[in-house]
Amino acid sequence: MGVDFQNVIEGLLVSIQPINLLWVLIGGFLGTVVGMLPGLGPATAVAVLIPITFGMDPTSALILMAAIYYGAMYGGSRSSILLNTPGDGSAIAATFDGYPMSQKGQAGQALTLSAIASLIGGMFAIIGFILLAKPLATFALRFGPAEYFMLMIFTLSAIVSLSKGNMVKGFISMSVGLILSTVGIDLQTGVHRFTFDVPQLSEGIDFLVVIIGIYAVGEVLYNYLAIDSLKAEKKKVGNKWITKEQWKVSKWPMIRSGPLGFLIGVLPGAGGSIASMLSYTTERQLSKNPENFGKGAPEGLAAPESANNAASVGAFIPLLTMGIPGSGTTAVILGAVIMLGLRPGPLLFEDNPEMVWTLVNSMFIGNIMLVILNILLVGLLVRILDTPPKILYPLILVLAFIGTYTLSYSMVDFYILIIFGFIGLFMKLLKFPIAPLILAVIVGTDMEQNFRKSLVAHDNYLNIFFASSIATTLTILTILSVMYPFILGWIQKRRQKQA
Amino acid sequence: MVRLFTPLFLNILSIVYLILVSQVPESRTGNPNGPIYFPMAIGIFMLLCSIVYFIQEWKHRKEEVAEFKKLMAGRTPFLIGSTIVLILIYSFLFERIGFLYSTILFLGGLLFTVNGKKHWLQNILIAVIFSFISWYSFAELLQVSLP
Repeated sequence: MGVDFQNVIEGLLVSIQPINLLWVLIGGFLGTVVGMLPGLGPATAVAVLIPITFGMDPTSALILMAAIYYGAMYGGSRSSILLNTPGDGSAIAATFDGYPMSQKGQAGQALTLSAIASLIGGMFAIIGFILLAKPLATFALRFGPAEYFMLMIFTLSAIVSLSKGNMVKGFISMSVGLILSTVGIDLQTGVHRFTFDVPQLSEGIDFLVVIIGIYAVGEVLYNYLAIDSLKAEKKKVGNKWITKEQWKVSKWPMIRSGPLGFLIGVLPGAGGSIASMLSYTTERQLSKNPENFGKGAPEGLAAPESANNAASVGAFIPLLTMGIPGSGTTAVILGAVIMLGLRPGPLLFEDNPEMVWTLVNSMFIGNIMLVILNILLVGLLVRILDTPPKILYPLILVLAFIGTYTLSYSMVDFYILIIFGFIGLFMKLLKFPIAPLILAVIVGTDMEQNFRKSLVAHDNYLNIFFASSIATTLTILTILSVMYPFILGWIQKRRQKQA
Repeated sequence: MVRLFTPLFLNILSIVYLILVSQVPESRTGNPNGPIYFPMAIGIFMLLCSIVYFIQEWKHRKEEVAEFKKLMAGRTPFLIGSTIVLILIYSFLFERIGFLYSTILFLGGLLFTVNGKKHWLQNILIAVIFSFISWYSFAELLQVSLP
């Protein structure tokens, strides 16, 4: 238990090696650029850029991927502030006051404030990571197959119930993901399932093809719907240095929102969207001038940006300590990490502590680099938004196909990519949440293996749910997470009646 | 009634999946039904969800489906159709004429379709330069084997 400072220091030394610093810089920059593109979020950024990590050593690949991820989170806020078009759910709150600031001619200041807030949130989260990750990994060693199975059920149900919209659609999306994970040779018995005598299906459907298909191809096809109305907007950045007054009103919201965002990020399913929304509403309630919120209040931008970035670092804790991603984007990262030959989970901290701590230190350095990059190169980054979407989307499609080909050098994957591109398009059109499908397709195989191992250990399948105190707690949490939207609805109705 | 297409499709999909599950051969090692339990549970769960979804949509069956209208409006069907055709041509040519030439053609085709013929010089330049940079980055810098 506790923090192993020697490993933390060793990780720091590896992370400041020039090559790793270069990967942080490249990843952060590329992530920012892709994350900035309207309609494309961090999940797409990571999915499209995964092939860059091929052939790299796992530590550098992990550093690069994480840098792309938090770079894309930074980038997502840029398009929220400048264009009022968030790349994903976690950047929505940045539009509330970021875009009005931009309209008031304070775009440069809004971008700087968002970068500083992200840095502060990220720093809190990294400290939290150092303190919490190792104890959690040690705790996770107590997990057996039944506990892991229940943890996966809980994560999936949480991601469904917390994803906006219809819960039934969320569960259908999850079921489709689990169904896809059952295709191929059964690992325990060697029985072929749903392969239809197609040799390429014996090894199952590569989840990275599913990810790239849905997030990259699906997003581009969906963006075709509005492509003629999307115009590259020339934005004037104006003064990029924030005023004393802006700093004064924003500093405490940033500091408060960091730990809040981190804790929410650690929870499976919650992630940046809830963290940023919650911090925004909390700060509005705490503010002496709540009427300024939504009209370009600096604190209304600083708080969600701090929480959002803290949550993105927090989401690495369940990912690395238990191998359970908490969101669609971290599920994409998990997919890429597995492809690198790593098995995230408690043993990662035992077997590869230097890798974990190198990653954490690189995130620390990366956050500082990104602030410098985002403040100094603000003019250049904004110019990227001038690039017409009609040019960008074809380029993303090409990158998606190159990435898919390099996964297994099989042309069959091209066709699978088109199919999932269409599935992604229709899911977006019909408002089916995508994250449950992605998460399910990645954890599905492990979930089944743990389920069957639990069945062997417990004679009755019902016993799995109450195999231990941990399993029982997770069962209760699962029930609560499914009930959560109903309870919330009931409370809101009661409040309305009382009002 | 268009509204009921998706839930109906999902119901059929669940039933087909459950039929396929029942056809999975028994295992010769361990529990003979071991490979069936998990898919069976998911299939049943998905069928139940699809039935609930059908009932939900049934209540709104007379309402229009705005999403499909969006899909069929303006240039969208042409753009999606052309993209699919270009992808199929790209898949056919990729290993036959090699990465660089097929990507120039694919990207060029996409840009002419999406960006328009008016910007022909821009399209050609981007297609050639981007394809070359991608080829160089993957094949030379990252040592990824490309045809």
